[in-house]
Order: sequence, then C-alpha cells, then structure tokens
Amino acid sequence: MIGRTGRALGYLALGAPVAILALAWTLVSSILLLLLAPTQLAPRALLGATVVSRSLARFERWRLGWYSGRPVAVPYQPTVAGPVRVRAAAVFREPATRRDAGWLATLFPLALPSMLLALVPTLLAVGLATAPAWLWAVPNPNAPELVAPIVGTWPGRAAAAVLGLALAPLAARWVLTLARGQAGLARLLLRPDDRQQLTALAARLATTRARVVDAQAAELRRIERDLHDGAQARIVAAGMTLALADRKLRGRPDDPVRADVELARRQLDGALAELRHLVRGAHPPILTDRGLSAALGALIADSPLPVDLRVPDDTSVPPAVEAAAYFVVSEALTNAAKHAGAQRCEVTLAGTAGGGLTVQVRDDGRGGADPAGAGLDGLRRRVEALDGILSVQSPAGGPTVVSAEFPCAS
Amino acid sequence: MRIVIAEDLLLLRDGLIRILTDTGHEVLAAVDNAPDLERAVAEHRPDLSIVDVRLPPGFRDEGLRAALAIRAEHPGAPVLILSQYVERSYAVDLLADGDGAVGYLLKDRVTSLDDFLDAIDRVAAGGTAMDPEVVRQLFARNTRDRGVAALTVREREVLALVAEGLSNSAICAALSLAAVSVEKHITNILAKLDLPPDADSHRRVRAVLAYLNH
Repeated sequence: MIGRTGRALGYLALGAPVAILALAWTLVSSILLLLLAPTQLAPRALLGATVVSRSLARFERWRLGWYSGRPVAVPYQPTVAGPVRVRAAAVFREPATRRDAGWLATLFPLALPSMLLALVPTLLAVGLATAPAWLWAVPNPNAPELVAPIVGTWPGRAAAAVLGLALAPLAARWVLTLARGQAGLARLLLRPDDRQQLTALAARLATTRARVVDAQAAELRRIERDLHDGAQARIVAAGMTLALADRKLRGRPDDPVRADVELARRQLDGALAELRHLVRGAHPPILTDRGLSAALGALIADSPLPVDLRVPDDTSVPPAVEAAAYFVVSEALTNAAKHAGAQRCEVTLAGTAGGGLTVQVRDDGRGGADPAGAGLDGLRRRVEALDGILSVQSPAGGPTVVSAEFPCAS
Repeated sequence: MRIVIAEDLLLLRDGLIRILTDTGHEVLAAVDNAPDLERAVAEHRPDLSIVDVRLPPGFRDEGLRAALAIRAEHPGAPVLILSQYVERSYAVDLLADGDGAVGYLLKDRVTSLDDFLDAIDRVAAGGTAMDPEVVRQLFARNTRDRGVAALTVREREVLALVAEGLSNSAICAALSLAAVSVEKHITNILAKLDLPPDADSHRRVRAVLAYLNH
C-alpha cells in the first residue's frame, strides 16, 4: 500500500513539470506551424516539431510504464522513405501524431491540478500523523483558541497523530484514484489505436498459425521418415529372411511348412503395401524428395481415370502448401472416380501474381457432390488453415470443379 | 557375380548381403552413403551396383543421383535402384542415357527371391528391370495415347511385362502363353505403337519405355 501510493505520488508529481513543458511546447509549436503553414518550410517544420513532440510522448509512455508496470506499445509507423513533403504528409496522416498532440495539450489542465490535489491531502495526513515529532518545535504564540490545545499540549498532539493515521488510508486511496484516472486516459491516447492493435494482432496470429502449420508439416515428414527407416525396413528385412527360409525348403517340396512360409511372405508384402499407402496418405515420400509436381504425377498414375495434368515448371511453395495442394488433388480424384462416375479429369495448377498457388480439379461426372461431406470438409479445414480458400462447384449433372487458392506469402 | 551395395539401413544392408551371398554372388563392398558408393564402384568396377534411393546426408534422392553420376562416369555400368516407393520420374532419369543395364524395383520385390535374382541377372546382362508399379504409372500417363488405346487387353498385359524388362520366355511363363503367340502379340504391339521390330530384346524394352515416357 505504502509502496504503491509512493509510486502513484511520484507519477503524479512527475506529471507537473512535464505538463509545464508540454504546454509551452504546444503553444510554441502551434504558433510556429500556423505561421509557417503557407510557406515552403511547412513540411520541414512539421517533421522537426514531430521529433520534439514524440520525444515528450515517449517520456510520457515511459512515465506511464514505470507507474503501471506495463510498458506501452509505441504506435508510430515505420518512417517512409522519400522527399520531405512525402514524409511530412505521412507523419501528418498518422493517427498517433494527433493523439500525441491531444495528450500533450490535455496534460497541463490535467496533471497540474492532479499533482496539487494529491499532494495536499497527503501532506496533511503525514503532517498530522507525525505531529508529536515536530509540532513542539513550532512556536505558536498566536495560535487560535481552537487549535491551541492541539498544538500546545502532548495529548493534543497525540490526538492529531491519531487523526493523521486515520486520514492516511483515505489520502492514499485518493492519490491512487487520481493516478489511476490519469494513467487510464494517458494509456488511451498514448497506446496504438484499436485499428493498429487489431492489425498487429492479425499479423501475430498469421505468424503463429503459419508456425503451427509448418510444425505439422515437419511432424508428418518426420513420421514418414521414421516409418521408412523403422517399421518398413524391418518388415522388408523379415521378408528377406523368409525368402531365404523358403529357398532352403526347396529341397523338400512336400514339406507343409513351405506353404506357411510362402503365406507369411505374402502377408508381409500385404503389410508393406498397406504401410506404403498409409505413408502416402500422411506425407507422400516424393513430396519430401522431389516436390509437388512429381508427387502429382505419381498421384494421377494411381487414379483409375485418365487425368490431364497441367503443372507449371516452377512451383516453389512452402511444404505445408505443397502437402495441402497434393491432398486437394488426391481427394478430388478419388471422389471423381468413386462417386461421380467420371470418365476423365483435368488437374490444373497455376501460380498467382502474389507468389500464391491455385489448384483446380475438374471432372465430367454427374455432379451433385455435397460440399459439406466429410472428405471435402476435412479438405476445407486443411486449406483454410493456410489462409486458402476451397470452393466446390458441383451442380446436378456435373461437371464438378474443386478449386483451392493458396496465398503463399507465409 | 561381383556386387557393390549402397544401403544406409544396417538391417537391410545385412539382409541384402545374406541373400546375395546365399545365392552364390559376391558382395565386394557394402557402403552406407553416396560418396563411398562412387569410390567403391571406381575401385572394384563391379558387375552390378545395388543402390538405395535415400542415402545420407540429405535422405532425399542422393542414391539415385549417385547412380546417375556413376553411369556418367562409367557408361553402361549396371545399376539396380531399390526403394520403398517407386516414382515414374526416377525411372525416367535412369533410362535417360539409353545405355540399358538399369533396374528400379521396390524393396518388397527382394522378398520374391526368384523374381529378384532374375532381375539382377537381367540388369547385369545389360537389360532392364522395371517395377510393375512404375509400368502402371507409365500406362496411366498414356491413357489418351492413340497407339496404347488401340491395344487389346491381352496386348496391354504383354506390353506391361515387356516394359518391366521380361524376356519373351519369361512372358510366356507369366501369362501361360505359347512362345508363338507372345511373339505375335509383340509384333502387333510394336506395329500399333509405330515402333520398329527389333530382335534385340534389350533395345526393344528401351524403345517401349521411351514410348511410354514420351
């Protein structure tokens, strides 16, 4: 309580000299800028004045951060390059410039009275509470009749001390309230405005989301590699051992063990085929090795339908986008073959102006696909996690067009 | 025959060595990375190199690239690529120099021992061994090709086996056909694909693969 009150007092007291400076500066700079406004010097003068105003505002931010324990974000835009006129216009347009000026103008009528209103009750409470320590040393021959017993007698001074101690918490609360009021208003004007905060938040979210997506893509790559070097390799090795065992049994064509060994070998082959399929579903190895267009080539090779593939030579997109694009094509081709009764498909990839990527899969099937179906919905989530857009057009009677657009500026 | 192996996983390296030595081959060197492979091939000049696609340090397609480097250095040096997944584009790279004596198989195929031994014999003899998966992918690319579309179902089956690199007699055995009818099918296929009839089966395989890859 005492510490917080002290800090609040310091905050309010420090406000006063700054307030006087701010008032002086506000008056001087306003007059100067008004005088210079019609001249060639206006932009230069504005830039110069802004340097001073911003220094004051920075000090104010520091004062607020020191008092509240929460630093205030700096709202200024990065300086634009270019001629003086352009820079001045940019500074003039910035909301932070006007808000700084607003705060500096408010400071004098706000901070000076605040300081006085805080100091008087504080001094009164402290003075009374410590009365026995100093009141005896103050000569009061002309003390009014009402005050004389308090000033002149020990019991009176003790009573004053009690009164002071009783007043102290009230004074402290008063001081804290004043400081909180000033700090609240200061924070409103000195921090970035809502729009800037939202912009910063959006940027932060985009960054973290991109990180999550990249982490997931990396995780899937790791799983693919672990399976490749672990389970899959072990099964192949077991198959090799069985193959050798089978070979050794050749001399005994009637041995029933042979059939079992052969069956076991086939079962392992089945397990391997299944694992390969699974790995391809999680993260196709060829994406790891060679990127998107080779992976799509492998994908259409697996499709029972004839597929026309058009891929630009150079598709350099982040791994997460590659994987998502791959699965868009994969899912769309599966649907075309399974549900749409399509005869053929066209898969088209194209780069967009902003370094993005569009993927389109068109089939000539019967249409009527449900965009909210489980497969397409999972696909949509995958695409939207990358800030992409998935659209499915599938009128009854076809054709079905599934397209995804990814911005690659992550 | 004298063989060099490049496989980074100890388990599979040992498995391959066992299989090859048990079947009467000699493993001159078994290495676990691409630079050592190139050195071993330069030193031993083996009858065949068996190479895993993914090798350190990058674990992408270093093995394949080492194989291509070896072929550039020693034209026609027989190389069999093993992988846990097959990609048509890798096959295309391997076939690019047109020298033959290349193979590209799934590691699973090693467990079908006879087919595998047959494949390494073919590659060492200058022929081709393509995984059925690769051939399937090649076919998938050619769905709109008029030549391929003109083939009968049986002719397609024969063409697939030709593309895998099987000899006429092996195709006879696989499809339970008489040698005469296989030859007749192959003649028809080459005619429909507009390829010159060629008695040399290796050159014929390469022509078929090149056609499917175009």
